Amino acid sequence: MQPTTGPAISLRGLTKTFGDFTAVDGIDLDVPRGQIFGFLGPNGSGKTTTIRMLTGTLRPKSGTAEVLGVDVVRHPERVKRRIGYMSQKFALFEDMTVDENLKFYAGVYDLDPATFAAQREYVLRMADLVGREDELTSNLSVGWRQRLALGAATIHEPELLFLDEPTSGVDPVARRQFWDLLYDLASRGVTLFVTTHYMDEASHCNRLAFIYRGRIIADGSPAEIRADHMEQRILDITTPDADAVLEWLEKADGVDEAYLSGASLHAVVPTGSPLTEAGLRERLAAAGHVGVEVTEVDPTIEDVFVNLVARQR
Amino acid sequence: MSAKRVRLLIWKEFTQLRRDPLLIRLLLLMPVLQLIMFGYVVAVDVRNLSTAVVDLDQTVASRQLQAAFSGSGYFTITRTPASEADLQPLLDSGTIKVALVIPQGTQDRLGRGETAPIGIIVDGSDSQISAIGSGYASQIIAQFNTDRRTSSGAQLDAPGIDARVRVMFNPTLDPINTMIPGLIAAIMMISLMVIMSQAVVKERESGTLEQMFVTPIKATEYLIGKLTPYAALATAQMALVALGGLYWFKVPFNGSFWVVLVGLLLFMFTCLGLGLLISLVSRTRHQAQQAVMFLMIPTMVLSGFIFPIQSMPPAIQPLTNLIPLTFALEVLRGAFVKGSGFEALAVPMLALAGFGVVIFGASIIATRRRIAE
Repeated sequence: MQPTTGPAISLRGLTKTFGDFTAVDGIDLDVPRGQIFGFLGPNGSGKTTTIRMLTGTLRPKSGTAEVLGVDVVRHPERVKRRIGYMSQKFALFEDMTVDENLKFYAGVYDLDPATFAAQREYVLRMADLVGREDELTSNLSVGWRQRLALGAATIHEPELLFLDEPTSGVDPVARRQFWDLLYDLASRGVTLFVTTHYMDEASHCNRLAFIYRGRIIADGSPAEIRADHMEQRILDITTPDADAVLEWLEKADGVDEAYLSGASLHAVVPTGSPLTEAGLRERLAAAGHVGVEVTEVDPTIEDVFVNLVARQR
Repeated sequence: MSAKRVRLLIWKEFTQLRRDPLLIRLLLLMPVLQLIMFGYVVAVDVRNLSTAVVDLDQTVASRQLQAAFSGSGYFTITRTPASEADLQPLLDSGTIKVALVIPQGTQDRLGRGETAPIGIIVDGSDSQISAIGSGYASQIIAQFNTDRRTSSGAQLDAPGIDARVRVMFNPTLDPINTMIPGLIAAIMMISLMVIMSQAVVKERESGTLEQMFVTPIKATEYLIGKLTPYAALATAQMALVALGGLYWFKVPFNGSFWVVLVGLLLFMFTCLGLGLLISLVSRTRHQAQQAVMFLMIPTMVLSGFIFPIQSMPPAIQPLTNLIPLTFALEVLRGAFVKGSGFEALAVPMLALAGFGVVIFGASIIATRRRIAE
């Protein structure tokens, strides 16, 4: 019997190189059970490589990786039955029907007919595909395909589910619905390891880790990360001419950093800076930028991340 | 390894194949089309070659020679220019394929019992025409000489010549008898390389390959599940070509069924291995297609499938030993045409086995290592 307590994932000095390139550079990480763990980082930072080592499809160069208490480097086959994986590609067979896809993955995990019948029922309901069992998955629109892919990846009721950018390319409504499904899985005790580059999704997670250039540069709960890594203040600027204002801000004295954040601009100023909302507005007006609104806001996870990355450079 | 999972993978593969009506049609049409192409177009006899005759002799003998050419059916005399200089533009424009120049004094030389040189010019831009055309021309001349000697009572004791000439005049059978057995091997190679590499690359593109290796599916199970359906399809295609060749084109089969089967099985491993290797180096289906083209051109040219190896320059000939299809053709043609057995075909059989072990083995090892990347 495999241990069911202890962390879901425990990494020590995990390293992977491709030729001269170090994709993952000695990372340590502990992921508690039953939580949604967000693994954040820009493209090419080592997220997918880490997941591939954790799912036993890629051998690390050095370091240890325990998944559900099993040494996944040495015994990947012992853990495969207990984990699930879903990628941003929603790896469904597009030339097969909804039912055929489910039948295939159920067969791969050797589910007995009774379990399969129950799981199929559950997945069809969850993905809102009752009555569309014989449709080819290529005919489904993105939201449905995404939910079906989640259903196929969890048909064997894994204890730990890896989701690699599961919401990329999905509209905001479908993303919201998808996160509801993830909460539902977490409430049933499934540990979720989610990578994303949507920073707003980070606040849905119980814990986060930031990976940048193969190293973990911050980890903890969203609140901890904000508290530990944000010494600066954020001024939110809305303007009809974002490009020109951004250009001005990048050169302005007393502004550490400026970038687009959603529909507005964020300017990062040092904590002790005397620059106020009104002060910045006046300076912008003096520079010829009128109709500008400036409000001081709490830093978002995105602000923290942008600053962490800026500090690394 | 789990037999259940292998069966599941095979079921999956056939389910997907069934959903691709274009591919199925292509798989059935390709052998039929190639049979027609190679059976009728390539192997078709060269007839009615447009021919020009420059008759500088203007004698009975020269007219007899012309009649021999036009009467053969292979040459149609379309032009009779007055001088040799007029031939060049006709050849350049492709108006004529063959030219016959009968010099002045030909009849006189023949009458004196001397050798009478005759000029034959063949359009070399088409090797098929030039080879067959000049072959026919020399046959006609030989026949003409025989006839003359016979009629003049010079060598009445040569009755066998006529019959021998006729056999050699029957080249229509020859190309198709070697083309069809070759086609069986060529189709297997094309179809396994194209379809299998496409199938693997498609799975990589869609991410299902990555997905499957997170599940308990093992690399070996995946490979067996992938190779089996395509090997079965290729077998069906080969059977189609073989039946079409034997019953429609009436290609004689003189050899042993087992020799053909063993030869094809050995060659199949090479083809499966090449298909897998292509799928490893290709990121997209388009790249896979290009990789197949890259391999197919030297294979078709150097294997002796279209051009006989014996006609290649001596420096090139050793290269043909690097092409697996060369040996598959040797086995199939040997078995079909000459009825050769295992002993006679030991060398190409061993070569095929060698290619199979090396290429298939390398592809399995490389696939297992890189399959999820």
